[in-house]
Amino acid sequence: MENQPAANKFIRWFDPRNRQVGSWAFILNRITAIGLTIYLFLHLIVLSSLARGPEAYDSFIDLATSPLFKFGELFVIAGGIIHGLNGIRVGITSFGIGIRKQKEMFYVIMVISVIGTAIFAIKMFIL
Amino acid sequence: MFEISKPKSREGAFLWLYKIIAGGLIVVILAVHFIVNHFLGPKDGLLTYQAVLDYYKNPIIPAMEIIFVIVAVTHSLIGTRSIILDTNPSPKTLKVIDWILIAIGSAAIIYGIWLILVLVSRIT
Repeated sequence: MENQPAANKFIRWFDPRNRQVGSWAFILNRITAIGLTIYLFLHLIVLSSLARGPEAYDSFIDLATSPLFKFGELFVIAGGIIHGLNGIRVGITSFGIGIRKQKEMFYVIMVISVIGTAIFAIKMFIL
Repeated sequence: MFEISKPKSREGAFLWLYKIIAGGLIVVILAVHFIVNHFLGPKDGLLTYQAVLDYYKNPIIPAMEIIFVIVAVTHSLIGTRSIILDTNPSPKTLKVIDWILIAIGSAAIIYGIWLILVLVSRIT
């Protein structure tokens, strides 16, 4: 039976051999999902500084605008763009839209993700 | 080979559909967030406490943020659950996991809404 859960599937995400494009799309969506979930909860935790008042938030922002932090944020942005666009692909194909064009959509998504991340990188580090 | 997304055997159609709809909402709200903050708003974004309070003055913003915290938290935890389903947990384990996820999700949403309302109450 296809699409059923099995313990060995967990390990298989991390096995790069004999992959087709669809598997890469799946792996990429999973990795970005895990990263964005961790980010979401860290984000909620650090924003508690807003409740503690101006000094707490402004000193957090000092830390968050350091180059190392911004470099980390770039991964969040890349992950967000990839996961968001891939999610749209997964969502619309669930309703029968574009099923035969999945590979093409995935390639377009990856190109947009690279360009989008580059735009953010330029905006964050150069401009 | 691309598989078509469908509910897993123990996910249920409702959670699966909800995850897709919530995902769509997250894309829309994040897009609005980035456009407002980084293209229309103050040049430096929300980089001071006062800038955040000013941002919240428009009542659409806190309303949008409340919807955002709900859909982002639920989407991420339902997604976490569907990853856990791939490890084929026993029904008993899954029940425990479900309650842990419900507890984490409820706490995160209540905290998020509380934080938004605290900020709204401080707008002068």
